[in-house]
Amino acid sequence: MTRIPLAALAVLAVIAAGCSNTDTAEPRTLAGVADQAPRAPQNKTAAQPAPPPPLTQSDAGVNAQGAATLEFKRRIDAYIKIHNEADGKVASLKKTDDPKEISDRERALADMIMTLRAGAKPGEIFAPEYQPYFIKIVQDDFKQRSAADRKALIVELPAKMKVDINTIYPTTIPLATFPPLLLRKLPDLPSDLEYRIVGRSLILRDVKANLIVDILRDVVPTIPS
Amino acid sequence: MKTVPVRIVAVLWGLLALAAVGQALTEQQKAAPPVMSAATEVQPPGGKDSIKFLVVGDSGTGDRAQYEVADQMWKAHAVFPYEFAIMVGDNLYGSERPQDFAKKFEIPYKPMLDANIPFYAALGNHDDPNQRFYKPFNMGGQRFYTFQKKDVRFFALDSNYMDKDQQKWLEDELKKSNSKWKIPYFHHPLYSSGGTHGSEVDLRTIIEPLFISSGVEVVFAGHEHFYERIKPQHGIYYFTAGGSAKLREGDLRGSSAMTAKGFDTEQSFMVVEIDGDVLRFQTISRHGKRVDSGEIRRTTS
Repeated sequence: MTRIPLAALAVLAVIAAGCSNTDTAEPRTLAGVADQAPRAPQNKTAAQPAPPPPLTQSDAGVNAQGAATLEFKRRIDAYIKIHNEADGKVASLKKTDDPKEISDRERALADMIMTLRAGAKPGEIFAPEYQPYFIKIVQDDFKQRSAADRKALIVELPAKMKVDINTIYPTTIPLATFPPLLLRKLPDLPSDLEYRIVGRSLILRDVKANLIVDILRDVVPTIPS
Repeated sequence: MKTVPVRIVAVLWGLLALAAVGQALTEQQKAAPPVMSAATEVQPPGGKDSIKFLVVGDSGTGDRAQYEVADQMWKAHAVFPYEFAIMVGDNLYGSERPQDFAKKFEIPYKPMLDANIPFYAALGNHDDPNQRFYKPFNMGGQRFYTFQKKDVRFFALDSNYMDKDQQKWLEDELKKSNSKWKIPYFHHPLYSSGGTHGSEVDLRTIIEPLFISSGVEVVFAGHEHFYERIKPQHGIYYFTAGGSAKLREGDLRGSSAMTAKGFDTEQSFMVVEIDGDVLRFQTISRHGKRVDSGEIRRTTS
């Protein structure tokens, strides 16, 4: 029987606690609000928790999955710091009748992040040493699906699309639905970031800036024609 | 001094005038949706104080089909005065420049917008999530949100990205709601007989149990470019209304045992009325034909 060290379990528990966003469970001010008004979740980007310290020698006992998740979270937090810094430097966006304001703001935020991350390379967030962990999650998920399900998912993915880190996601290309069951298996992300699949690559996308933050290539299995 | 013959000047002048008229006509076409002649077969609502709404799906092409369907929607309003519209996603295909918002939303639906009929949009896979900041979509700056109309609570979901936050939010909001009717709408159909996409099984695994446990009885979706009414699944009526501009003709698998009614030969939209415990729906084609209709009686107490 495989045994998991107690320390590893404890670390995983800490990660799970850190990753789960429970603030959406906050009571909402509904009762007194006019019934007609749209009600929406709270924005969670305002207060980010302090980033965890980098892995140290004392973390050596953490299992591979725990270490990968911990390092991933540390890098995500570092990115969010940059995102927030950029967000604070461009004019804030409010609801508007003018779509130009939306696209201008999106572009300004993207430009600011690109400047702050100039020279960013693939693997900045998907750390090379832990990439096999993410690849395994995706490939195991696809293996568990029926051939028809796999095909249905892959057919919907944008193909023949060249993507690169620190570039704008092409606005004319649809964002393929991310399989919800796969999403459950990957580490949680803050609401300003999301996973997407493009061709055979897993990407991290900044939602507000429409920016490709990192890429993990050749993750999605091909389907035999 | 060189001179130009009078006839050449006259010809040039005529060409300029023609170009000006052409330009004016183009502008006029841009400014107003085309007028269609086909009459609508929409029936008036049954209830006096009922909630009446329009269901629009996969509409944002900016092409002739969208404009003709929009024209039928406005004709339907004369008979069936819906008070608001829900959009089940793919609100804008392709680029999303300001002129695209005009061409693919503001101009075709101008009569409704001028009549202060609000649109409540959900995001499709072709939509930039930042559409949530576009005020006429009434999303409150959020990818997923809820709103109330009398006894009905609507839940606009982002089925492109059903993460844990959204699941938790949906679960909480469904539990919290005491409304007679709870109506989720989103882009990807949980059940579909479409040959191109088919049912979203992943999504179904996650959100259908929430619907069942909280007394949801009706769900609207799009994505498939046709109309389909699914036979009740676990007591829930699922509608796919993704053909308000795009059409995938012949994509409905005729052999599907799930289909209660399907229509994939023309674009379509729905008008819906909720009158106490009864929901009445009509599905109208691009040329004004009523292709499906019926009523659903609420069973949850």
